[in-house]
Amino acid sequence: MATIAVPVGAQAEQNEQEAVRRPALSEYLRWSVDHKIIGVQYGISSFLFFLVGGAMAMGIRWELLTPALDLMVSGSAYNSLFTMHGTVMIFLFIIPMWAAFGNFVVPLQLGAKDMAFPWLNAFAFWLIPPAAIVILMGYFVTPAEAGWTSYPPLSTLFSGDGQTLWALGAHLLGISSIMGSINFIVTILNMRPESMTLWRMPLLCWAVLATSIIAVMATPFLAGALTLLLLDRVAGTTFFDAAGGGDVLLWQNIFWFYSHPAVYIMVLPGMGVLSEVLSIHSRKPVFGYRMVGLSSMGIAFVGFTVWAHHMFTSLQPELRIPFMITTMIIAVPTGIKMFSWLGTIWGGKIRFTSAMLFALGFLSMFVIGGITGVMLAALPFDIHVHDTYFVVSHFHFVLFGGSVFAIYAALYHWFPKVTGRMMNEQLGRIHFVFTYFGFLFTFFPMHIVGMLGMPRRVAVYDPSFTQWNQLIGLSAFVLGFSTFIVIYNVIRSYYRGPIAGANPWRALTLEWATTSPPPVTNFIDDPIPYEDPYGYGTEAATAYLDAVDESFRNGRPASGGH
Amino acid sequence: MSTSISHRQKLKPRDQRVAALRLKNNRLGMSIFQVSWIMVFFALIVVNWQLRYSYAQWPPVGVPPFEPLLPSLATLALLCSTVFAQRGLAAFRGGQLPIFALRWRLTMALGSVFMALIAREFATVSAAALATQYGVTMRLMTGFHIVHALAILGVMLVVYRRALAGAYNGNEAAGWAVEGTAKLWHFVTVAWILFYVVLYWLC
Repeated sequence: MATIAVPVGAQAEQNEQEAVRRPALSEYLRWSVDHKIIGVQYGISSFLFFLVGGAMAMGIRWELLTPALDLMVSGSAYNSLFTMHGTVMIFLFIIPMWAAFGNFVVPLQLGAKDMAFPWLNAFAFWLIPPAAIVILMGYFVTPAEAGWTSYPPLSTLFSGDGQTLWALGAHLLGISSIMGSINFIVTILNMRPESMTLWRMPLLCWAVLATSIIAVMATPFLAGALTLLLLDRVAGTTFFDAAGGGDVLLWQNIFWFYSHPAVYIMVLPGMGVLSEVLSIHSRKPVFGYRMVGLSSMGIAFVGFTVWAHHMFTSLQPELRIPFMITTMIIAVPTGIKMFSWLGTIWGGKIRFTSAMLFALGFLSMFVIGGITGVMLAALPFDIHVHDTYFVVSHFHFVLFGGSVFAIYAALYHWFPKVTGRMMNEQLGRIHFVFTYFGFLFTFFPMHIVGMLGMPRRVAVYDPSFTQWNQLIGLSAFVLGFSTFIVIYNVIRSYYRGPIAGANPWRALTLEWATTSPPPVTNFIDDPIPYEDPYGYGTEAATAYLDAVDESFRNGRPASGGH
Repeated sequence: MSTSISHRQKLKPRDQRVAALRLKNNRLGMSIFQVSWIMVFFALIVVNWQLRYSYAQWPPVGVPPFEPLLPSLATLALLCSTVFAQRGLAAFRGGQLPIFALRWRLTMALGSVFMALIAREFATVSAAALATQYGVTMRLMTGFHIVHALAILGVMLVVYRRALAGAYNGNEAAGWAVEGTAKLWHFVTVAWILFYVVLYWLC
């Protein structure tokens, strides 16, 4: 049986009536090497970029309410808008947002006092603001028009100086990502307590480990591609210009060798969040824990073998089938996770908290994104819907239905730990309903218009698609509105939410075994984790959790065994 | 070694644990960084390889192939320098600062010879080669490598001077700067060998 050796935070006297001191807001605006401060810095800045990218999305949908140009002065202006939308959402929102949760939660889950390289951690974050300024500045000069994928010759011959700034900014973000990922890998591998073997590690840590491995291996390829793009744009080389002996497919190969794994950089941490939230809020152990951990590594590995499915229409014919096969193979580890999540909640005592609702929302939406992914992996179908709204729908089901729903689940789940206050559950449910249905009616119809042949990246379209686009546009505005609900909830809860206490969800992982918010050093002594991070539903786990609660209630550490 | 032991004896057990963990983190972090950054060099090899298929033959018609003699001498100098860097590190760990100083001076001298030879190669690419991707990718790869070699040689010089000034105490944890710099120089060597084989032998 488990020995109860309760890890207690520095301010063990915390009880349900007493809030722990929170860092002053000004501390979040300064250089800090505290992983928790850096996590919040990542989170707030990423969310601000989410608002910027979201406002651009509203502009896109406003333009598409009618088949003719109305909001935009030209097709070029529309090109610039969706280019910045994609860039901001991917490079400045989703990827750094996972760094936010990773920074705040992972060291706590490992029982560590900080990340392995605190200074490097802060430096990686502080590269993001200048990178964002450089990228956004480009929008106000002669903007990039080549989409977030920046295919030459669009990005070499048909984009302005904004494209050069885009490449410079992306370079900085790549360096930030590599430094952050090295930090995560070293922290996870070296800074676990002795009793926490890899097979006792929380699944969020597994997911962040897999994500970081992808980032350190793939991002340098993006650096290589961006260097060539910059040289073509400013130094007169012709790496991507066939007239000078170059090859436009060179960009596609190198870019997608990074950017397809980057999809998993954006989704894998969300999968880790899902394993945490579903298990804790249904009071059941994770079904197939080891397979879930291994499937994260499987996705990381197989993710490097599928990049050319983005190039089915331009790829050498003899390479299409092999890439079709590898793309379908990657559905296997993803499917393992889906079955694990369903098995986890099956028969559980489900608590429909806001975090749980968003996690279930992820499940239902991501499975659609997964199925359409398998459809797109099938070569004949992919060629049929190439560059149509079907593709737009697919990746939004993955990146919004997957990543953003998981980000919201993580927000509701860990907000009490970050701030010491609970979020308002009623507002959370309203937020979920608006987000869920706003999202569904925005992106599901895009499958249909895509299959009917509406191309993506156009401001002017066939009038027969008008009604579909009006439905999509109005739903998008509902989705946009839903964001204000969560903003209001966050601000209101930060100041007036009920005191959370150390472990409001009665969870077994170590971040819940210290005060909310945690003290600067996270724990007084080296904490001893419970033997199974998801061992809910056993007497030993209940005794452990009771002992943790008691220790915080009485202001002294509990100890003993049974 | 005596310096190292006496320094360790001064540390409290908890400080020793912290220092040991920091060293372990630094070593793992450096290894991951090296694996990560070598991927940029692989990316440039992919560039070279894919652009070959834009031409009927490689080198393209009318472009003479690069002579491998000078680059081979440069490679030999670099290999010797990396051996001296490693042996210098061993001397440093053994507390033999004069031997460390000698070996690192040799490392830097041979590294400079390497860079001078490669810089000459870079500067003397023929106009015919530069009119094709054969010459342009060669300049891209050698230029990219020289930037790394120059930067790390600069770091090596700083670390050398600080080590002689006693900044690292000969202690293993405190002397991480010396070990880290040696590993960076090994990285320069491995990256060059990849480029050398692709540029001069796989034609």
